[in-house]
Amino acid sequence: MSARAGFARMLALAAALALSAEAARAAATAPVPITGSRVGRIVTPTAGRCGVCHPTERVALESSPHAREDVRCTSCHGGDDTTTDEKRAHGGDFTGKVDRGTVPRMCARCHADEKRMRPYDLPVDQYALYQQSRHGQLLAKGDRQVAVCSDCHGAHDILAVADPASRVYPTNIPRTCGRCHGDTTLVRQRHIKNAYADYLTSVHAHQLFDLGNMRAPTCVSCHGVHGATPPDVADITKVCGRCHTTERRYFIAGPHAAKMAENNVPACIACHGNHAVEASVVTRLASNCEKCHEKGDPQVALGARMLDEYKTAQTEIDKAEKLIAEADAVPMQTEDYHARVEEARTYLREAMTAAHTVQPEVVASFTLRARSVGEEIQDELTHKFANARMSKLGLVVFWFYVLVTLGILRRYRNRRPRA
Amino acid sequence: MSTTTQDPQGGPQKPLPWHWAAVAWLEQRINLTEIFSILTSFGIVYTPVDTRRPLREAMAEIGATPLVSYARWPQVLGLLTALLFALEAVTGVLLAFYYHPTGEGAYASTEGIVRDIPLGWFIHQMHDWGAYLLIAVVVLRVVRMFWHRLYLAPREVLWVSAVMLMWVVLQLDFTGRLLPYDVTSYWSAMRGLEIVCSQPVVGPFISFVLGGHVITENVLLRSYVLHVVVLPLLYLIGIYVTFGTMRRIGLSVPAEGGDPANATTWRKHTLDFVIFQLLLFAGLVTLATLLPFRFHGPADPYSTPPGTHPAWYLLSAYTIVQYLPGPGWIAGLLLLLAGLSVPIVPLWSARNPQRLSDTRLRQGAIALFAVWCVLTLVGAFVVRK
Amino acid sequence: MADLAAGPGPGPGAGSPATRRQFLTWLSRAFLGLWAVGGAGVVAAYMGAPDKNEGGGRQVRIGRLDDLRIGEARLVRHGVTPFFVIRTNETSVVALSAVCTHVRCILNYDRERRVITCPCHEGRFDLNGTVLSGPPPRQLPSYEVSMRAGEVFVRV
Repeated sequence: MSARAGFARMLALAAALALSAEAARAAATAPVPITGSRVGRIVTPTAGRCGVCHPTERVALESSPHAREDVRCTSCHGGDDTTTDEKRAHGGDFTGKVDRGTVPRMCARCHADEKRMRPYDLPVDQYALYQQSRHGQLLAKGDRQVAVCSDCHGAHDILAVADPASRVYPTNIPRTCGRCHGDTTLVRQRHIKNAYADYLTSVHAHQLFDLGNMRAPTCVSCHGVHGATPPDVADITKVCGRCHTTERRYFIAGPHAAKMAENNVPACIACHGNHAVEASVVTRLASNCEKCHEKGDPQVALGARMLDEYKTAQTEIDKAEKLIAEADAVPMQTEDYHARVEEARTYLREAMTAAHTVQPEVVASFTLRARSVGEEIQDELTHKFANARMSKLGLVVFWFYVLVTLGILRRYRNRRPRA
Repeated sequence: MSTTTQDPQGGPQKPLPWHWAAVAWLEQRINLTEIFSILTSFGIVYTPVDTRRPLREAMAEIGATPLVSYARWPQVLGLLTALLFALEAVTGVLLAFYYHPTGEGAYASTEGIVRDIPLGWFIHQMHDWGAYLLIAVVVLRVVRMFWHRLYLAPREVLWVSAVMLMWVVLQLDFTGRLLPYDVTSYWSAMRGLEIVCSQPVVGPFISFVLGGHVITENVLLRSYVLHVVVLPLLYLIGIYVTFGTMRRIGLSVPAEGGDPANATTWRKHTLDFVIFQLLLFAGLVTLATLLPFRFHGPADPYSTPPGTHPAWYLLSAYTIVQYLPGPGWIAGLLLLLAGLSVPIVPLWSARNPQRLSDTRLRQGAIALFAVWCVLTLVGAFVVRK
Repeated sequence: MADLAAGPGPGPGAGSPATRRQFLTWLSRAFLGLWAVGGAGVVAAYMGAPDKNEGGGRQVRIGRLDDLRIGEARLVRHGVTPFFVIRTNETSVVALSAVCTHVRCILNYDRERRVITCPCHEGRFDLNGTVLSGPPPRQLPSYEVSMRAGEVFVRV
């Protein structure tokens, strides 16, 4: 490329720049109709001219669905967004930074209005729920440190719940709550639990974060969303039982339920913990009892008996599976046995659930079935193996046949050809 | 067949038995003797066949020619190479009726053959045991030919064909082992391929033929084609050469066995052959029934079971590749040279006895064999762990 | 081999003293002939197999349609995944896997409500296999059902 051509290009570029700058100026000076036709309002920037001085807030607001629905700066902050003159812009009903105490009420102006929310199919009970929540109750008492809407949803960059970047998307909820309920000064000052750290060690967190199970419970699943409150001790089985239905059914059928309620012992939590729920481990059938009962109590023995039942059944099933593997190596037709082992494992899993009755007889009703299926499979397979060995006796017949044939052939061989 | 030996002036007026009548009818339309003479190339008859005469007369002549009663047992190995191959061919064709050489189909179809198809297990186990025996036979045959110095003139071609048969059988085993595509076969083939690929020139060539350095579905398909078409053809050529040399230069007769007075007939010989075949078959059936090979689940390319190792005849090579210091191609080159020296060195020493005497050659061979045994044992007990 | 046995048999001229010998010869010939019959039998048994499972998936015979009552389910233990065969009305039969898509528990059929329930975590499926409630992440796989001459077959 020659030097002249390069120079010509630079000229062209400069001209283009000058033109675009003029266009920008023209756009800036054009009047922005705020009360004009609906079409005109959609095309204007929601931030109005506030964004000229508050670009960060403007960018944040425009990332939010609020911006598309014509929620403007002035909707929350008041003032006039048609001008960059500070006096006029910050005049009138301008509130400045919204006071924490008034945030919930302010959001409720729209979000509690059924007529306005109906088109979006959004609930309108958040404000009412919030007022019932521990957060709301404390706020009403003048505690300014508690969470308000903007603490969880953000102030300007409020995203829809379904947006994975949203602070209130299921996988982000623990972190959002953890901003206060984690390892913070707030938690230390108020002597409340570091629930976030506990939750991260739980099987629920493992399901949610490691296995991507979106149905795994987060903070809000048990405590409620806007009406966040710790569940009462009496309600714990109900809360856990929402997902662990069968466990709850068995638990209520057992003697623990009534006694624990009487003594105000937190039912599920007493064995499983609350935020740091562990994955189910069989050995806990026996070891858990000593959390409440004295060592050597007859109740502790019940736990040991349940564990015993379980383990016996498990060994039988394991043995059956080993035999199936052997049969597979032959290979024999074992598909039915695979299905039956699966069935036995189902009984075993049910036995674990039934253990919530803390009655060994109930557990045994399942483990016995599991055991008998395991033993049945073992019996049948051993029988099949024995049959297979028996069929090798056919070899004897075969050899008899071979020997007779040999005899005939020898006779032919040794016969002199007739002359 | 031996009816032709006596036909005392039956005369044309006597009607022929029906089977000979059928032969005579066919003979007017096609030269049956010619077809028969092709068959004799695969170890049935060692004497030349006069293709101009009708089959009945040609066979009468063969039957009438006295055969030298030779020492039986060493030569039986040559016969076994043909017999076992016939067994492998028959069972192999039967297996191929149900086998699918695809990634998902290979194991499932093999399992289906063994488990669901009536007597499928029997065909499969016979094929497996026959292969084991065949390897033993071709290897022993090379050993015995070396020991009896059958590489000397005029048997150089016989020697080379024996070594070639051994090579082809090992290739057949290598490709055939992969076909069930179960865990053991997959990983032992993988280890085997590592050894092959470490060799210069030959390694790249074989991986080119197989279509890769690792076992994939593509390699499986090519192994299948090699196993059922290419290698068996090579093997047939080898057998043809083997028996062709015999018709030209006769059987090897050890000094003490060649008593011309001790003559036998073709009929007797053929019956011996049948008796031997029957015993072999019975032995194989017994092995296949009492000691069947087991399956270990379908191949999973994503998890290596512990202690994977190549087939037993590659264990020594595997030990060398694993333990020899320095770059991998040195071990490969060593293996390649060792492999090439098997057919060439004896021939070379026969030409240059002053450079490499016979006793030296034997001592060297024994030493090499001992090293091979030790390395195989090391491979079996150390590398596998 | 049979051919070989035929060789040394009595020639056309062997009529003389030996009916017994002739009988023995015939007996041994028949005996050797059995080898051929046996070999042919082995090959025939081996090759005759495909008729029994008509290629591409196995057809499992469930039984007569009349034996299945309407609204009743039968648990068929076949293969790694057992399945339910449920007669939904006069003419139609569905086959659904009986293994929960959640943690592989074996499901139960609730006849009253006409749903399939999981004993482990109370997952519920309808008779199309759709998840009605509970933890199962996917719907139940279903199998193709065919009917021939009043008999129900399921292709697995």
